Amino acid sequence: MRLQSKLTLSSAVSKVVILLLLVILLPPLIHRVALHNTDKRLLEKKEQVFDIIEERGIESFISNETDDMYGSYNLLKEEFISLEPIAAPQIDNRIENSYRKVENEVLEYRVLSLAFEVEGGTYLLEIGRSLSTIRETSDTMQQYAIYFLVAIVLLTVFIELAFVKILLRPLTLIIWRLQRIGHPDSFKPVKLGTTTTDFVYLNDTINSMMVQIKEAFLKEKEFIGNVSHELLTPVSILQTKLENLLTDPAMPEEMLVKLVESQKTLYRLKSIIHALLLISRIENEQYLKNEEVSMKTLAKDVAEEIEERVEAKRLTLDLNVTEDMTWKANYSLLFTMLFNVVNNAIKYNKPGGTVSIVGRNTDGGYTLSVTDTGVGMPEDQLPNIFNRFKRLQVPDGESYGLGLPIVETVAKFHNILLSVTSQPGSGTCFSFLFKNP
Amino acid sequence: MHILIVEDEKSLASELEHFLTKEHYRCDIAHTGRAASEKIAVNRYDFILLDLGLPDYHGLDLLNEARELEHQPAIIILTARGTVEDRIEGLSRGADDYLPKPFSLLELQVRMQAILRRKFNVKSSVLTLHGLEIDSSSRRVSYDSSEISLTKKEFDLLHYLLLHKNRILTRLQLTEHIWGNVLEDDYDSNYIDVHVKNLRKKLAAYVPNDWLETVRGVGYRLSI
Repeated sequence: MRLQSKLTLSSAVSKVVILLLLVILLPPLIHRVALHNTDKRLLEKKEQVFDIIEERGIESFISNETDDMYGSYNLLKEEFISLEPIAAPQIDNRIENSYRKVENEVLEYRVLSLAFEVEGGTYLLEIGRSLSTIRETSDTMQQYAIYFLVAIVLLTVFIELAFVKILLRPLTLIIWRLQRIGHPDSFKPVKLGTTTTDFVYLNDTINSMMVQIKEAFLKEKEFIGNVSHELLTPVSILQTKLENLLTDPAMPEEMLVKLVESQKTLYRLKSIIHALLLISRIENEQYLKNEEVSMKTLAKDVAEEIEERVEAKRLTLDLNVTEDMTWKANYSLLFTMLFNVVNNAIKYNKPGGTVSIVGRNTDGGYTLSVTDTGVGMPEDQLPNIFNRFKRLQVPDGESYGLGLPIVETVAKFHNILLSVTSQPGSGTCFSFLFKNP
Repeated sequence: MHILIVEDEKSLASELEHFLTKEHYRCDIAHTGRAASEKIAVNRYDFILLDLGLPDYHGLDLLNEARELEHQPAIIILTARGTVEDRIEGLSRGADDYLPKPFSLLELQVRMQAILRRKFNVKSSVLTLHGLEIDSSSRRVSYDSSEISLTKKEFDLLHYLLLHKNRILTRLQLTEHIWGNVLEDDYDSNYIDVHVKNLRKKLAAYVPNDWLETVRGVGYRLSI
């Protein structure tokens, strides 16, 4: 999951939690506020009632003779006011919820009860407000509050989403650039236009590290090239010395055998140097890719060159390249690539086995594959076969050949997709996919 | 034949001198470009073996100087800088051949002989030895007018053995000559033996005595 999504999600979650808390806590809170407001209004009404009594006198409501009581309520029985004379002030001044029967209907009211003395008599004043009215009000308030909160949450989530996106844009850019680096060689350091110091630091660090890696790669390439080149002169001296000794007619035959052993070692050294130089030159792009190479011709040329080896090992070479394709490449490099693979297929084959070279048009391009019926390789060795100097267990001991690393380097240089499958005991298949441009 | 060896590596120069002297060439050595420049101005050389990487001189400048000489010596460039561009550069400036280091002395000898044949306008490319005729331009071999059909590699093998007749050629020298264009990591292979065996079989039908001799543990020799 991307950081941007995570940040937005976490902020949304925290807001929803707050919203839920509010939804739970809001009803009792609003109810209390509503009650409080009602009580305030009841007290105000009480003052108004006292004002009226003072103005008109208690007689206008209740006459002493009749010992009657006064009551008034509005049409929907939302409120009532009652006055009645009482014997003694037993009731304290208080506000409480209680039931009252109004016109044969029992309703719950918030009631302010107050006993007071006026003009020698003691009276009880009650002012009530229907609780259902109070609840209605608080419900409405609650509803609006929740709408409001949801709207706020949604709004802030969207604002944050946009904000996070803008803030994280440099990071997105860094990732985008990193994804596009196939090889450190292709990296170009770019400055980042942001005021977020963390990202500037990150970008600068990546830049400096990639430049270091790139330099290390270049140095390694140059190093291999230079060292191999420097080695050629001493090897040259040794080779001429050995050849002079070999042509010396006075040299006894047992000495000749020893000289040949030395010559073998020297040729081994020579072939390693040549292979390294070849790899280094390919990697340094010192080869042109401007020849139109026909796959059919290439396969045929390699088959011809290697024909005698096939015969020498009593194998069958099955050349099945009926479909042709031309590819802009370096012919001699492609030749070396295919030759090495076919040569391996011969070297590690079983007596009476087959090597087949098949070329045909496939999805996305042209596939050239070399399949043998040889000893194969266990799966865990496959990733190592293209490693330089990685020692592999092969039937004739250990292979330190640079043949396959060369194959891989040539394939990479030409953008050829190389894949290997192998079945121990039944054979190996190398296939080269020449992708459509 | 008078040869100038221009090579700053003293021991390589002396090995070259040793080999070529035995082959009856007369050799001079120049370890620096300056010395070489003086020598080519004074002496009349038939061959100049030129190392391009000299400490005091650019080898190609020396090549230009040699090209201005009246008698036109043959020039073979010997260099460790074996890139394609170097090769093209050297040849386009008038060198007759180009051998990347490390090279085989036998290969050098073959190249020198080829240049000589060109120089002295030897039209015939046929080598004749006791009835065996090898035509290197049409790549045909015949014995007493009956043609022997050889594969490309068998021909190359026979031709090389013949050019170095009476000399032991090791398997590696033969392998390098025949598969020189292929980078061989299989330096210890016995493919050359297969070729020699086939060649022997084909020659046996025509050539009466076994000229192609095996030197056990070393290589082969064409003794005529």
